[in-house]
Order: sequence, then structure tokens, then C-alpha cells
Amino acid sequence: MNPRSGPQLHEVVPPAEQFAATPARPPERERPAVPLLAAQNLRVSFPAGKGQWLTAVEDVSLTVSEGETLGIVGESGSGKSTVARCLAGLLRPGSGTVSLRGELLGARRTREQHRAVQLVFQDPYSSLNPRLSVRSVLSELLVFHGLAQGEALERRCQELMALVGLPADALDGYPSSFSGGQRQRIAIARALAVEPQVVVADEPISSLDVSVQAAILALFADLRDRLGIGMVLISHNLAVVRNICDQAAVMYLGRVVEVGEREEIFTDPRHPYTRALLAAAPRLRPGPDRVEARLRGEPPSPTARPSGCAFHPRCPRAEPVCATERPELLPAPAASSRLAACHFRDEKG
Amino acid sequence: MSGALLRVRDLTVSVGRGERRYVAVRDVGFEVPAGGSLGVVGESGSGKSLTLRALMALLPRGVRAERGVVELAGEALPFTGPGARRARRGRLAMVFQDPLSGLDPVYTVGTQVAEVPRRVLGASAAASRRRAVELLRLVGMPDPERRAHAFPHQLSGGMRQRVLIAMALASEPKVLLCDEPTTALDVTVQAQVLELLDDLRRRLGVAVVFVSHDLAVVRQVADELAVMYTGRVVETGRANEVLGHPAHPYTLGLMEAVVDLDDTAHAPQAIPGALPDLAHVPSGCPFHPRCRFASDDCALSDPGFRYLGGGGSDRGTACKYPERVMAG
Repeated sequence: MNPRSGPQLHEVVPPAEQFAATPARPPERERPAVPLLAAQNLRVSFPAGKGQWLTAVEDVSLTVSEGETLGIVGESGSGKSTVARCLAGLLRPGSGTVSLRGELLGARRTREQHRAVQLVFQDPYSSLNPRLSVRSVLSELLVFHGLAQGEALERRCQELMALVGLPADALDGYPSSFSGGQRQRIAIARALAVEPQVVVADEPISSLDVSVQAAILALFADLRDRLGIGMVLISHNLAVVRNICDQAAVMYLGRVVEVGEREEIFTDPRHPYTRALLAAAPRLRPGPDRVEARLRGEPPSPTARPSGCAFHPRCPRAEPVCATERPELLPAPAASSRLAACHFRDEKG
Repeated sequence: MSGALLRVRDLTVSVGRGERRYVAVRDVGFEVPAGGSLGVVGESGSGKSLTLRALMALLPRGVRAERGVVELAGEALPFTGPGARRARRGRLAMVFQDPLSGLDPVYTVGTQVAEVPRRVLGASAAASRRRAVELLRLVGMPDPERRAHAFPHQLSGGMRQRVLIAMALASEPKVLLCDEPTTALDVTVQAQVLELLDDLRRRLGVAVVFVSHDLAVVRQVADELAVMYTGRVVETGRANEVLGHPAHPYTLGLMEAVVDLDDTAHAPQAIPGALPDLAHVPSGCPFHPRCRFASDDCALSDPGFRYLGGGGSDRGTACKYPERVMAG
């Protein structure tokens, strides 16, 4: 790579993850009977004033296995961050359950259960306490959870730095002395400090500069593979999901409208909303003509959810049945592992 | 005047005071013809937003345009003084990134759009009101008569951005400066706003300068590109040529770093190193510590900016060895 890189004061990008392609996994891999993390029929409502309720998430079921990344894509208001908060136990769903290796995570999680599912936030500028050095952030966690003390504590802190590709002397720094990419590495180290089984990352690269986004994505893929943890990656960016996820779920107005193996979703989308998202995504290179009609209108407010299929007012494929009957999330094509919630899921796009 | 509606030369902007003053925009130059569009691409600290603000004479306190010329239709615009804003009024208008902070929460959007024709063009209250509704229709606001009575918080992000574009167009500008106008929007809405800008350019002949960190977004709106790094323009040219065959290692690096939806064969690669602190920009070529094509002399002297293919061509690079970059 760069023959001239002298001592670098800033971002440290270990050569291995620089060019390590995120490996495409064999799609035929067996998914274990008891998933690592499973959400069943999650439903979350918030009071919206005047006795009204806003249903942010409705009937969402998702699973993640060890060493697997599930990507959740959707626009603002789709409920993807609310799902992330439910998975991490920061928000109690109105109904539905979250379970870890088949064990139900109750309304109040135990310390151990909290440890098992960790969250990485979007903005590393606001998610790190500016008054704590990196060492204090990490050692506080390690001591609280009884994971290390004394000499082992320092050793573990250094290990964590190495794990996320930061030099050991970064431990003495405060968040303000790091760049955005480095801060996100620190936030990741914090999540990993408690040896989680699942890491949920909510838009982890969207506040970073383009030139460092790739390094953070590669770090996620690398950690997933090396530590064998499960990951849930929330993003509005389809390219990010296609790049590192094994499974993808597309959300619209609080519901999952399509979910399945990544390549199936990206090469043969069966929900018109997935197709519209793909058509609207800005491309770096002029591709084959994407003449599909651009979506008109904007996502409606979750307080005024359209009848039937919530997407029907914007859908180019809509027929009268779509306004009256809500399509179930069913295999598309039949007997496939991919599910789509569209009356016309058997049609190719 | 020779084709160019907006011409910028040697624009240099400095930030801070006294000893700690540093140059944030250095010798930036470009031209945009009427109805043309220029995309300015760069990461944080590249100086792209300050360049726009300098064009608009909206530099914050402590930030100064040191030198440079901004010409609109052959007439130089002053950067400071009472004449600076007047010279731009009705000719240059700007659309900001965050549609909420650009709108006053206590006035309806119709009132806010109508204020521009009334104050800038001296139209009557009733005429301004009619004009406001017309403008809202022009930017694709559904049901503009009714929506003119809405307050900003009652509109979605995409609709607010349309209101800001309507306000910018209300003064009938020749040039529309857009600072990441779609960053806060959803993809499907972003596509609509980009289409709107294209449409306005064709129908009204407005020239557009579009600043963004996102190469893929810029490619959709811009005929011409200017890539900025540490306050300098490092590459210019037709958008498809620049993106097809980058002639500066930073442009190439950015393209390789972008997470590409269509390319699953190559994993995105981060540019090694980090964006330098603007107060301590590396010597010589500012990109040399991160460049995989660099030779020893890249650290010694500034490469300067040169045009490829001789005069008349707008394809230029600030790299000493563009042939290395173009060979990959």
C-alpha cells in the first residue's frame, strides 16, 4: 500500500483490514434452529398527544445467528431505530418478545442480559462522554461487570484498542482529541469491552467522512468474523447493507415489507418499495437504464397509516385490493426463505 | 464575457485571528455557464462550504476572504461592505443543508416565501402572495394554495427543502448555490429534489453550484466537477470524465472508498491516514502522506494546478503524476 506512510498521528488503519474484502458467505449455510437473537412480533407505540397513539413498530419479527449480520434498511420513520432500541433493551416493546438463544429477555434485563446485547450509536461525537478518557470509559465497564481488575484491567484495555485498530496510547486520550473515525472505533471498543454476543449498530458510519467509512465497515465485518458475534446493522444506505450484511430486512412505516438473503433482495426484489429504494439510490457509475417510475410523494406519517398495504398510495403496482387488504409477509417465491409483504410478490420486478 | 456566468478566481479564505490564522480555502477558481451545473465534492475541512459562503458574502465572524475575484456576468462582486449583499441580491441565492433551521417557525411558509418578492423586488403584498403560491407550485409542492398556510413544523423534510428552494428562487437569481441540500433527506425524497434542481436548471436557465460529500449524488446533478481537498481544488473536469478516469489520487481514493451499491466484487477501501488539520497542512502536495503514487519530490514542492490536454480544456489536476493515477 502506501510506501511513504511515516508516523501517522491520526487514523490508524491496519493493513489487513484495509484491503480485506468482506467475504461473501455461502448462502446455503444452515441457519441454526435456535437463533442467537430473535425478535417476535414486536410492537411499539408512542403517545402522540390528544389521546392518539403513534405505532412506530408493528408486528416485526427478526432473527440473527452467530457470525451473521442482519441489515435493516428503511427511510426515516420506518421504525428501524426503534427496533434497534428494543433489541438492545433500551426500550420496552408494547407487545412482542426479544429472546437470546431461546431465553426470553424480560421487561427488566439482568446485568448479564444487558451485557449480551450492545449498541453502537450513529454519532460518536455525542455518544462518548467528553470528560472521560478512553481508559476510564473502558475500565469502568470492565470493573462494573467484574470482567477484569488490576493488571488484567490494563491488559484488557490494550487488547481492546488493538482489536479496533487504535494504538495503545489512545487510552490516555479524551474524545475531543480523536477524529470521527477514531471516535467510532472507541465506541466500538466500548461495546466490545463487555464481550457481547450481539452488537446492534444504528447508522454507525453515516456521520463519518467518506474516506474513513470503508475502514469502519471493514472493522465491523472483521470483528464479526473473528469474534463470531451476531450483528444487526441499521442503515438508510442500501450500499452499506449490501456490502456487509448476510440478511437484509426492508422496513416501511413500522413493518418489515421484505426480508431474506442479501443477494436475493438486491438482485430480485419482490416488494415494490424495495425496488423503488434501489431505483432511487444515487449511483457512482451510470448503470443500465433505471427507467422505473420514481416514487411520488413521501412516506406518510405513522399516525395516519394508509389502509390495506401502507405503501399503496405511492406504489406503481397498486391495485384496488391493496387499499383494502393488508398483504401478509409470506415466502416469495413460494417455499423460499425470503419473505415479502406484497399481493404481487410472485411477480418479478 | 465569454460564456461563463459565474467566474471565480484565486479565491482564498482564512480563518482565526493573529498567530492562529490559517488558510481554509486556497486559490480556488471555477466557472459556471448559464444553465450549467458545477458539483463541488469534498470531505469535512475541504473548504467546500466556506467557498460557497464566500461567494454569497456570508462568511462568519473571524473568517475573511483574503483575495480572489468573484465575477457574475462580467461584474466583480465585493466580499464585504454594504454593497456586498446588495450586489448579490436577486442574482445569487443559496439553499442550505438543514431545511428546518433555514425557516422561521412562527411564520407560515407562504409568508416567508412572499417576503422575498416584496422586499427584494418591491412587489405589492397581494402580488407577492400570488408569486409565493406560484413558486411553491414551481418546486412541486402539492396543493400550494393550502400549503402556503402551513407552518414549517407541519411539513415533512422534503417539503421544507422545497420551500427553501422556492425562497431561493423567489429573488429570480441567476445562480443557485446549494450546500448539501439533500443530505438530511430520505433517498426517495432526495431523488425527487435532485430531479427538481435539474428541471429548474433546464426551464429557468439557472446555473447551479452543488456542494456535497457524496460523489454519487453529485454525479446526478453536475455537468462539471471540482474536487476539493484541504481548501484547494485538486481536480476539475466534465463529471463523467473525472469519475471515469480520475487524474488526482484523492479523487481515485474517494471513488474506491465509496460503498458502491452496484459493485460487490470490490470491497470499499478507506484512504490511509486521516484528513489533515487545516492549521498543519503537509508540505508540498497536501495529499502526499496518504498517496500511494507519491514520489519524494511530492513532499518538497507544491504541484500547482495544471490543465491536461492544453488550453481550452477544463480538465485539470493538482497532481504531478496524473498519468500514474490514470494508469491505476
